[in-house]
Amino acid sequence: MSTANGKIRSSAAEALAEGRVTLVLGWRKKDFWWQSPVAFVESAAEAEQLTFDPFSVYNPVKYLLEAAGCHEKVGVFVKGCDSRGINRLLQDKRLEREQVLIFGLPCSGMVDPVKIRAAFPAPKICEVARDGEELLVRLSDGQERVQTADFLLEKCLTCRHPNPVVYDRLLWERVPVRSGVDALRFARVSSVAQQQIQERYAYWTRQFSRCIRCFACRNTCPACNCRSCIFDQAEPRWLGKASDMSDTLNYQITRAFHVAGRCFECGECERICPAGIPLQELNRRLIMDIDKYFGPYEAGLAPGDLPPLGTYRGEDPAGFDES
Amino acid sequence: MPVTREGFEPLIVAFCCNWCSYAGADLAGTSRQTYPSNVRVIRVPCSGRVNPGFIIRAFQRGADGVLVAGCHPGDCHYHSGNYHARRRFTILKQMLDYLGIEPERFQVRWISGSEGAKFSAVMNELTENVRKLGPNRKLRDAR
Amino acid sequence: MKKIAKTKLQELWQRLSAEGALHLPVRSDRVVEFVRWQEDVSADLDALNAFLPPKKYFYPQTETVLKYQFEDTLQLTDVSSLAGEKTILFGVRPCDAAAFSLMDKVYLGEPVDEAYRRRRESTVVIALGCLEPEETCFCLAFDIDPGKAPGADLLAADTGTELVFIAQSSKGEELLAKLNGVLQEATSGDENKVKDAQERAREKYVTRVSVHGLAEKLDTFFDSVYWDRLYRRCIACGTCTYLCPTCHCFDLQEYAAGRSGERIRCWDACMFPDFTQMAGGHNPRPTQKERVRQRFMHKLNYFPRQHGGEYACVGCGRCVRQCPVHLDILEVIREMGGAVDGR
Repeated sequence: MSTANGKIRSSAAEALAEGRVTLVLGWRKKDFWWQSPVAFVESAAEAEQLTFDPFSVYNPVKYLLEAAGCHEKVGVFVKGCDSRGINRLLQDKRLEREQVLIFGLPCSGMVDPVKIRAAFPAPKICEVARDGEELLVRLSDGQERVQTADFLLEKCLTCRHPNPVVYDRLLWERVPVRSGVDALRFARVSSVAQQQIQERYAYWTRQFSRCIRCFACRNTCPACNCRSCIFDQAEPRWLGKASDMSDTLNYQITRAFHVAGRCFECGECERICPAGIPLQELNRRLIMDIDKYFGPYEAGLAPGDLPPLGTYRGEDPAGFDES
Repeated sequence: MPVTREGFEPLIVAFCCNWCSYAGADLAGTSRQTYPSNVRVIRVPCSGRVNPGFIIRAFQRGADGVLVAGCHPGDCHYHSGNYHARRRFTILKQMLDYLGIEPERFQVRWISGSEGAKFSAVMNELTENVRKLGPNRKLRDAR
Repeated sequence: MKKIAKTKLQELWQRLSAEGALHLPVRSDRVVEFVRWQEDVSADLDALNAFLPPKKYFYPQTETVLKYQFEDTLQLTDVSSLAGEKTILFGVRPCDAAAFSLMDKVYLGEPVDEAYRRRRESTVVIALGCLEPEETCFCLAFDIDPGKAPGADLLAADTGTELVFIAQSSKGEELLAKLNGVLQEATSGDENKVKDAQERAREKYVTRVSVHGLAEKLDTFFDSVYWDRLYRRCIACGTCTYLCPTCHCFDLQEYAAGRSGERIRCWDACMFPDFTQMAGGHNPRPTQKERVRQRFMHKLNYFPRQHGGEYACVGCGRCVRQCPVHLDILEVIREMGGAVDGR
């Protein structure tokens, strides 16, 4: 891991020192072992704080929307999922390719702090670092080694593109796609879909009953990049401010539908939802249907594509009675 | 107002494309075809104009069934609006079903300006089907 | 002072639910939340923070304050008089209980918020003392003792295998008297056990930051360049404010339908761009910088200045854990000049 940090720091420092970019987005370590938030680095000296560890999970791409407006060129470190977010912004014409210098980081998965805490409940955890295939968990009273695979975030267990799909420089060797990813990808969707319609309604309304409409799912999503969102509009008001199931469904259906064919499965919406709503089960259902009706499609792989709901073919099947 | 029959009378909101389906409604009228007064027609420029938000809002404000009607594929006045609509509503219909909202309540039909009889048949059929399903409570704004 | 073995709690829930609507923390799906108790539900007494703080019982996310109907004349219904079902809130942690007292300053100060007062008065709060801190806990920084909750009606002190109930108000005493059949008398031995547990808990907790003198220091911090950098990470979601047990800002909305309608009070978040948006289009907090500044200045300067030096934070750590971008109050307090302690 230290070599990874070395490469990240020197790449950022170099690009900043040479004046190729004036801002670099990466990650840095904060107070707790599980906190590696996005860092805004503007000088070679500041680049020393950059880190890439098992918790550098947050997608920095969304910040490009604002950063690219105030900097001529921005450097950004991206994992596989993050890089698809860059293609998302390019495809949506919200970013120009020349505005970013992309450092690609092949990623073998990020670690779920919840799983670590469950495995080490009593002793205080001080640090969790990657060491080959294993995680080194440093505790207040010693250290332990565990298999990384057992502690990965759920979203990483279903990742089909661990290697960046767009970059200027790849900082290290590509990593293999995890085996069994395809079987897991739609497993949760299928188990919900198998229920009876009334059970499905009960399931979803139970999940959505916890929605507090904090909009974290929308705000973190690089596919939600409209300059102004209809949900923020006061006149006409499309979404009431009162928290009730009618408007929560209105919000959730609209959010998911808006990213249909554009969601690139980074899973950040679900990961950060404070209410634990399984949003990926909704996003992935739309992906499944798009695959089924209009042919397999993965968003964020090619910026030149038209998203499936932004195009058509004359011979498309219809998912309704066309008679 | 309709003469209310015994029991539940569904409210149907029909978004009809100006060039085909709305003309179909006109033809139905001028040719003395009847269709239930449960249906409230909203004229839109094209089926491609219909945002999924319109459909959700209709259900929120009391619709028991929603129909989107447009030109047959290939006949769009704007070339491709209905093709886009076809993709969009294919996905929306599956999604409503997945969330546990009866997909029968949301229908999409292609009705041309010469299909007055079809317009009336579709409206009769939809009204009857939704009547059997009963009132829609899901998505309804209780206020 | 009375007690019950933790194995017999189901009986206690049964008995309590006869005295009012019993709400307690329950784990379901992926989160712990306060919900109404039912026969087949068991409380989660290990989780420290329910995902939403129990402030929702006194200050619900959405509440109708007025209904109107226009027939021949305008008819108004004041619905605040309807609030106040008899409720028992079990398992409120000391930090959340302390937050009730802070919220009281806002809603029970003049002018008194009638609906809030009714709900507050018709509810018996049973606090549950903490034994083990989570790593994000920093209640001690605000002088909140993790084993005590002086503002609650009853304290349920956890001694490991038993819960010992101590009445702290007349409402608490009244309820305790009704639980005779279920609870046993506690002995002086139990009293010592409670003290031991409270002391052990206190030792395990760390303050993490010191807020001593911070409010005064912040009087001149409004124009600090610190804010120019801090906000950049914020994604303007409402997680921190909605999950905060002391955040209490609301919005009033009109729902009009034909000749009738409702006026609704609902939670609002100062992180949202439309929070200060005026009808004419002007926004006095035009960027996220001003919004982030507002949140922290309100908690650490404006509130203590208005309310006798008390900070609008109880160290529950929800925002520390849940902020998607880890922009949290611990970092801010430290960087504003509050001392670091006990890491």
